[in-house]
Parts: sequence; structure tokens; C-alpha cells
Amino acid sequence: MFQKVLIANRGEIAVRIVRALREMGIKSVAVYSEVDKDSLHVQLADEAICIGPADLSESYLNMERIISATIAGGAEAIHPGFGFLSENAKFVEMCERCNIKVIGPSSVVISNMGNKSEARNTMVKAGVPVIPGTDHIITDVEEGKKFADEAGYPVIIKATLGGGGKGMRIAWSADEFNEKFETAQMESQNAFGDNGMYIEKYIQNPRHIEFQIIADKYGNVVHLGERDCTIQRNHQKMIEESPSMAIGEDLREKMGNTAVLAAKAAGYENAGTIEFLLDKDNQFYFMEMNTRIQVEHPVTEMVTGIDLIKEQILIADGQELSVTQSDIVINGHAIECRINAEDPQKGFRPCPGKIDYLHIPGGNDIRVDTAIYEGYQIPPNYDSMILKLIVHDKNRFSAIHKMQSALGELVINGVNTNIDFLFSIFSDSTFKNGEITTDYIENFMKKRSDS
Amino acid sequence: MFNGVFKKTSYIAIDREDNNVSKEPSVPDGLWEKCPICKKAVYTDDLRNNYKTCTKCGHHFRLTSKERIEMIADEGTFEEWNQKMPDVNPLDFEGYIEKVNNMQIKTGEEEAVITGKCTINGHICAVAVCDSNFMMGSMGYVVGEKITRMVEKATDEHLPVIIFTCSGGARMQEGMVSLMQMAKTSQALKKHSDAGLLYITVLTDPTTGGVTASFAMLGDVILAEPGALVGFAGPRVIEQTIGQKLPEGFQRAEFLLKKGFVDLIVERNEMKSVISDILKLHSDGKVTLKSADYYHGRNAVFDVRNKNTKEKTPWDRVKISRDSKRSTGFDYIKYIFKDFIEFHGDRYFGDDGAVIGGIASIAGKNVTVIAQQKGKNLKENQYRNFGMPNPEGYRKALRLMKQAEKFNRPIICFVDTPGAFCGIEAEERGQGQAIANNLYEMSTLRVPIVTIMIGEGGSGGALALAVANEVWMLENATYSILSPEGFASILWKDSRRAEEAAKVMKITAKDLHQLKIIDKIIPEYKPSTDDNIQQIAGYIKNNLKEFLAKYENVDEATIVNNRYNRFRNY
Repeated sequence: MFQKVLIANRGEIAVRIVRALREMGIKSVAVYSEVDKDSLHVQLADEAICIGPADLSESYLNMERIISATIAGGAEAIHPGFGFLSENAKFVEMCERCNIKVIGPSSVVISNMGNKSEARNTMVKAGVPVIPGTDHIITDVEEGKKFADEAGYPVIIKATLGGGGKGMRIAWSADEFNEKFETAQMESQNAFGDNGMYIEKYIQNPRHIEFQIIADKYGNVVHLGERDCTIQRNHQKMIEESPSMAIGEDLREKMGNTAVLAAKAAGYENAGTIEFLLDKDNQFYFMEMNTRIQVEHPVTEMVTGIDLIKEQILIADGQELSVTQSDIVINGHAIECRINAEDPQKGFRPCPGKIDYLHIPGGNDIRVDTAIYEGYQIPPNYDSMILKLIVHDKNRFSAIHKMQSALGELVINGVNTNIDFLFSIFSDSTFKNGEITTDYIENFMKKRSDS
Repeated sequence: MFNGVFKKTSYIAIDREDNNVSKEPSVPDGLWEKCPICKKAVYTDDLRNNYKTCTKCGHHFRLTSKERIEMIADEGTFEEWNQKMPDVNPLDFEGYIEKVNNMQIKTGEEEAVITGKCTINGHICAVAVCDSNFMMGSMGYVVGEKITRMVEKATDEHLPVIIFTCSGGARMQEGMVSLMQMAKTSQALKKHSDAGLLYITVLTDPTTGGVTASFAMLGDVILAEPGALVGFAGPRVIEQTIGQKLPEGFQRAEFLLKKGFVDLIVERNEMKSVISDILKLHSDGKVTLKSADYYHGRNAVFDVRNKNTKEKTPWDRVKISRDSKRSTGFDYIKYIFKDFIEFHGDRYFGDDGAVIGGIASIAGKNVTVIAQQKGKNLKENQYRNFGMPNPEGYRKALRLMKQAEKFNRPIICFVDTPGAFCGIEAEERGQGQAIANNLYEMSTLRVPIVTIMIGEGGSGGALALAVANEVWMLENATYSILSPEGFASILWKDSRRAEEAAKVMKITAKDLHQLKIIDKIIPEYKPSTDDNIQQIAGYIKNNLKEFLAKYENVDEATIVNNRYNRFRNY
């Protein structure tokens, strides 16, 4: 077993990892930037090493310094957390060459899954459903039409070099395809000087459903059910739940088995997440695989009783999974809220500053993952997420009430937060009824400003 | 804040027997390389994938000759010449042979240069690459001999030569024999040049001493890598000799470019394509005329021209010719030619921003293009000196014309200058001499020359690019003995009478066509600006194709005679 592990991260996830290590009897080494010297993870870890100035490229993203700190601190492994270097294949490859174990999959797997077309090809080969799309650049409208007719409408036409909605059109039916293709192509030609297009089946109002998997180096893979991350604002997740309202027992089993299949096809080892798009006819498609622990992992922990961080460490140490698929039972319902230091009144602008007063809710099955404390100065340099509030109860209805109760108790003074905003979501009937899609927040805000 | 308030757990000693960690973590040798400039650690794999240039600051790391060949030659095409040469020790210098042998073992190279033949994007050439890892790339008998043999063989086989230079200079241990290598390599290159063959040098870090003072500086085209140190005496030697600290950037490639010794600084990731473009522009090409697009272009201009009714006064045209929005040399070059590569410097003193030049192609024919260049705003004009060339501008133009003559390329000049720059330093460096020399040398160039007046044609400063077989003028260009202001001031002691002067001086295209000073008028329906340059450039392009086709099979003597007679008639 590892004797000492370095945590290449900050904030609540670093604290989360330090705790897991301590409980396992493994020493921890924290790294921190100059502005983070008073951070909780620095205080809680057994050792801490300053790796440079606040600027990310000089500290948390600086691979050479993190590797040097690992060797200097005498650690054998690195837990990368999420964000930062956690899905950086080059960093993992460097560590492999330095004989440092990164707690996560190998550099080869990260790199394969990080490459969209490579990942897609792997999944197609393994029989995992993907959104039907063209496999090469289309410039000829007739060729595009042929594909669209086969895939079925609606289809989305995207410029290969596109971005920001430019050169992008949805064709709802066969008779408008040619016109939409040509306008998208012309727009692309004007904006990017390129007329290469990509066409795929357009999924209307999809739900984002992700499956947690864990895999050991011996090829054992189990899934731990799904998380529903449909409540997002600008692709930033806000509320996550497990299980999802959108899928029943049969579909869960089917999607879960597909997730396991996907992980096996990727040659995956350690904890990972398979993201699916689910359409209104319960068809699901592989989107991508996240090759790291995720922010919302606690909801899975709450409903399965499995400590994912500890599992990650055991797997990285070369141990076999202690559970089989039949051991996994989804128990009750869990919800997580991401509390950010931001101002919902001003377009959710980040709002760093000093925490004057803090009250943290408690009680049965209420969990708070955070690195803030009274008097803590939130630096402006990093992500604005400061706390995760997670509740667990016997069903969604009870969990929503528990969350509302806990949010009501959570007090963070000194900086603006989204607590009130979240609180109001939990009394919204649309949310309560589970009639949610990815545009929920947008509609909710419209509704709020109208009333 | 709360230092030491948290209790730490005492750790249970965990059994390490079943441990999979076989080795202690450590950084293997060569995982990172430290950049000597920005001092940051660069991942060696990144460095390799980035042409061995620093991913953080762009610094060009030194290469071994094998790495260089890998980056330049088409895969599998490099054929090494004279790989093994006998060890020599002309001075019986103690320990020298051992030192060379040790270097051979250490570097895996036979000597400080590799020579041979390869293709570069399909263009065949002879190539030599010096290696600073081998005794600082110093030149002794073997280096000199390998280069000489390579150049001689290239002359025999009619191949262009490319040499990547880097060297500390002559090899001390071989004494005078080393010095002789400078003369030996230079004379071989002269023969190669006299055979009409192309020689490109690429100056890399560092190129100094006897190599600089011989084959490094003799290229028809001299390229350099960014930041390369290039000089005769090394900076340390100079500092010790004169007892002064040298300024930042002294003897770096950028400094040499400014001082007129380098044609172009090329980043390593572009090097192969730039070299192959230059090779392409030196391969044989004949004019290919497509009659269809030719007539189409000409008629288009004439059609719109008919609508132009109001006749402009000479003074109107003077003002138009000086307008800051008027199309400049670069604008025409962009629309008329393909693959234009700009070359810099006069090889003596500096690079003049008021004169640009280089090689390009048009209708499949390689040509040399030279233009006087004005800026379109103050900042550009500070660099372009408002289109008023210094002597080094004329000398650069002449250097490029001589180069054109060597490679049998027609010359196309664009004239747009208020006049040669008048200033103390211009006089010190011989403005008059520079202009005179151009008239003198241009008269006997064995390639056809056409000059196009596109804006202001200010006196001798314009004529220095206009001793041509044909001189054309844009409708709103002027060509004059002096500016109308100057004319009025000299003749009537009143520069305010410039408008009146413009009328009597006969400086417009129409007047000069009648006087047979020029051969052709390029119509401008509207004064040439960004809005309509494409049309005007298209018209010029078609006329140039016709000109080139006309001279395609004319012998050199006739070309020279025609030009002589053209000016003899005035």
C-alpha cells in the first residue's frame, strides 16, 4: 500500500482526499500556491509544499513543479482530483516515466478518451451507441443529404471549424436540408474560410445522464448507477441527483451495462464516468468519458455507500474490486448543490472576498464538502465553487425537503452566493415534479423576473 | 490562521511486502531540458515535436546535424557523401587525434559536418550541415574538404547547394591548414556560382570566425534562424579587445537583418517550406499564356474606362499620386505575383524599408520584383521613410538585379518615390554614387527589365530603378525632374506656384507618352486604391505576361541593345 500520496489540487476536493488518505492510514502531502497558504487543505495535510505564485501555470498547472514536489516530499503517488491536471495525458505520462503512480487511468487511456473521434471510434467498434454522424468532412450538399436521409431528421449541420453558433443549422425535415446546408456552408466559408461540414442527428431537449463506473486492473468493471446533471447554467452544473427520475429499473440496467461495456472497450482502470445523452424516446447515446473523479461524486457515494476516493486509491494500488455488480444497491435518493461565491443578480459574476460569518447545516444524512471557514479569504484566482451541500433521504421528495431545510440553515456572510437562488429552485413546482431539461435554469430565471 | 490546531493521526505501519511500487519515484535523465534563454524546464518530447524550439519562449535549441537533416530532407532521400575521411594532424598537435576520436565516440559523428544529397519537398539539392556538438563545429581540413567536395560534385551534377552553418571558426589544432579551408571552400563556391547555380546559406547559432568569413556569407540567399549569433569575432573577443560591453542583441540574426547581411529570418517550423519555395522559384519555368483570361482582363478595364469622361489636371494627378490611400508596391505585388519571397539587405550597411524586393512567379515564370514602398500611415512611414530610399536601398535593388541576371530572371520594378532621401547620412554613404551605379549596371543587365511608375516618380531617385527595356505608367502617376514645388521655387523663386509648374513640366503619363519617355499607360478608371486595385493589378498582370512572352526567346545581346538604344535616343 502507498505510504504517502501527494494531492495535486486545492479547495474542497483536496480536503476530501486528505481525509480519505488519513482514514486509510496514508500520509498526505498538500501542494499550494502562494495565495493559498492559509487554505484548509494545507492545514489538514501531514505536509505541505508551496509550488509557486497564484497564476495557474506557475503552480497547480505546472507539471515540473508538481513532479518535483512529489519526489522532494517522498510521495509515491499523486491524486489529481478534478480539473487542473486530472485529465492531462502528458502530465500522467511524465509521472509514469518518473515512476510516480497517478491515481486514475493511464496516460494512453486518457489520451484516447480525450480525443473525441478516437473515443467515438472505440465505442462504435465495441457496439456502444453513439449519435449517428458523418465520419468524414462533407463539402457536397448531395452527399450530406444522403447521410441525413439515412440518419433521420432533425439533423444538425456544423462547420468543421465552427464555434459560437456560426456555420451551424438544424434541418428539421428533408425538404429544408439543402437550403440549411448551403447557408451553413456559406456562413462557414465567410467566417472561417472553410466549407467543410459535419452532420449529426439532432437530439431535442436531451437529458444528460452519466454513469459512474469503477474498474480494476484485472478487468473487473462495475457501475454505481447514474447521476442526473440536467440542471445547468451555461454548461455549468448546479444541481446533481442520483438516481435520475428519467430512467426506470430496466433502462438503468441497460445503460449501466452499456457503461460497463464502454469502460471495458476503453481498457479503463480506476473511477470514471460515461456520459450519455438520453432523448425523449429513451434512446441513449455515448457522449464522452470523463477519466477522473467528478465534482458530483458524493451523490453516488450517498446512494451506494461506496467511498469513491478510497476505491480510487485501492485500485491505483493494484487491488481487486471488493464489490461485484450484484452487491451494488441504489438506496434512496441523493441531491447535491454547488454553492458558488457569485452574484446571481449580476449574471452570476464571481464574487471573491472574505467570509465574515459561516454557519454549516448538520443532521442526519446531510453532508458538507468544503474548504472554507470563518475568516477565510476567497482568492480571485480560482474557481468560484466554495462548498458542496449533499443530502440523502429515502426518496426524491424527502431529499428535496431535506435540501431546502439545509439550504435554509446554510449561512455564508461576507461574499455573495447562489444559496438563495438554489433555495428558490427547491420550492419550484416544475423542479419538484422533475419536469426538467437543460434549459430549466434559463426558463426559471425568466419566470422569476416576470413575477 | 489555525496553525497546528488540527490533530494528526498516528499512522499504522502498513505492510509493504505486497507492494507493487518497485522503484522509488525519480526523474529520469533527459525528461526535461532547461531552456538556456527563459530558464524554464521544457518536456523533452514537446521539444522534439516542436522542432527543438522552446515551447515557452520560442528559443531555437541547437541541433545535431542528424536532427537537422531529419527536419529538412524528405524522408529517406538523404544520401551521405564522403562519410569517412582519414584523420589528419597536420601540425602533429599533441593529443589532437585522440581528441577527435573521443568526439567521434561521444557524438556518434565522424566530423563537424555532414554532406550529401537529398530532396526537399521534391526539389533535389546538395546539402551540408555543420554540427556545433563536434568541437564547436570548428573547420579543419576534414570539414573544409567535405564541403569543397560536396560543392564540386554539386557543380558537376548541376545541383543547388544548401549549407547550414554553425561554427566556432577555424580549428586551432590544425593551424594554417585550417585557414586555407576558407579559401578552398570559397573558390569552390565561386565556380559553383559561375555555373549559374543557386547557393543558400542558413546561419544557425552560432556562426563565427573563419566560417562566417568564408562560405557562410557567400550565399545567393542568406537565411538565418531567429536569435542565431553570427559574427566574425566572437562577442567575448570583441569585449576584451575594445574594453566595452556590447549592446543587447549585438550580432544576433535580427541585428544582421537590420544591418543588411541577411535576406530573411526563418523560424525552424517554416524552414523546410521556405527553402523549398526558394528552390521552386529557381527551377526552370517558361511563360504559360492563357489567352482567354488575358483578353477578359483587358477588356474589363477598357469597358469601365470609357465611362471616365472628366479630364484631370496635372495638379490633380500630382495630388492623386501622393494620396496616402493610393495603392503601393506591396499591394500590386500581392495581386500580380505568386509565391513572393522578400529578400532583405544590401550586404554592406543596412536594410532599407523604402525599397522592397525579392523573387516571385507569374504565369509560371520566375521573376525578380523590386518596388519602392511608401507607408499608409505614420508608423509605416517611419519605417518606409515615406518611400525615399537611402543608398542602401539602391544597393539592395542592384544586388537583387544582379542575382536576377545570374539566374536569368526578368526584372520587374515598381517606382513610387518623392525622390532619393536627402540627408547627411545618405550623402555620407554616397547617395549619388549609389544611383549612378544603378544606371551604369542596369544598362548591361542581360535580362529584360520592365519598370512601372505607380505613384510619384521623383527624379534620379526614380530613374535608378527605371533603366528598363520598357517603362509603363499608371494614368495618375507622375515622373519628373523635380517636384513641382521644387521646380517653382528654383525657376520662379516661389514654391506656392507648384500647380502652375505642374502644368508646364509635362509630368503626366499622357505627356510623357507623347514625349516617348514612357511606352505604355495603365488606365485607372478611378485612382488606384484598395477598392479597385484588383482590377488594375489584373490589367498590369496581363501586360506583364505579354511582356515576358515577348522576351522569352530574345537573346541577351538584343535585350541589352534594345535597352541601350531606348536611352540612346534621348
